[in-house]
Amino acid sequence: MKSLLILSTLLLFTGCIKDVKPWEKDMLAKETMKDGGINSLSKKFEEHMYFSKEASKGGNGVAGGGCGCN
Amino acid sequence: MKSLIIFLLFFSNLLAYQKGDIISDAMASHLGLKENKIYIVDFFASWCGSCKKELPLISKVNLQIDPSKVEVIGIDVDKDVQRGIKFQESLKANGNLNFRVINDPQNLVVAEFNPIGMPTLYYIKNKKIIDIITGACDDIDEVILNDLKEME
Repeated sequence: MKSLLILSTLLLFTGCIKDVKPWEKDMLAKETMKDGGINSLSKKFEEHMYFSKEASKGGNGVAGGGCGCN
Repeated sequence: MKSLIIFLLFFSNLLAYQKGDIISDAMASHLGLKENKIYIVDFFASWCGSCKKELPLISKVNLQIDPSKVEVIGIDVDKDVQRGIKFQESLKANGNLNFRVINDPQNLVVAEFNPIGMPTLYYIKNKKIIDIITGACDDIDEVILNDLKEME
């Protein structure tokens, strides 16, 4: 009974994991999925405010687009 | 049983085709692979920026290889076939796509190969995966030509 419970719990956990495969990143590669959206200035201003107030610059974000290949 | 579940949960990527693996007969037939010929199978999509950069370079290589010994096959993984075809046509119009392309809207081909990134390029000979290039290379044309020299 105990093992059945563990097994069913583990099987339920598999429902929590949705592995997005590299070839399924169509939506993530869109311009609108970028931080700050399609307006590149929005992100720029946000960064400007952040480093002005925090007295720090850089070290945030990653290079490249959404498909994990750029 | 427990170990099988753990394996499936965490190591499903190991089920992907690796260097040295033999692809299935059904897949070889679907791709139209013949014996004693090297096939360069390139997975791309219209939304993949790096693929867009690489395709003209791969087409350039396609002009320099002996078609009796080597063939390039593109696999377009776009789920929207019309979008994929439109993308291919735009490349063809500029001479940036000059090899056979198989549309894979159901993602059956790519799911069997299960690459870890896009773009990914496989070298296949006699159904055996000789080598894999994952991710973008700025000089993919030179890399392919060098690899082919080593394989001959």
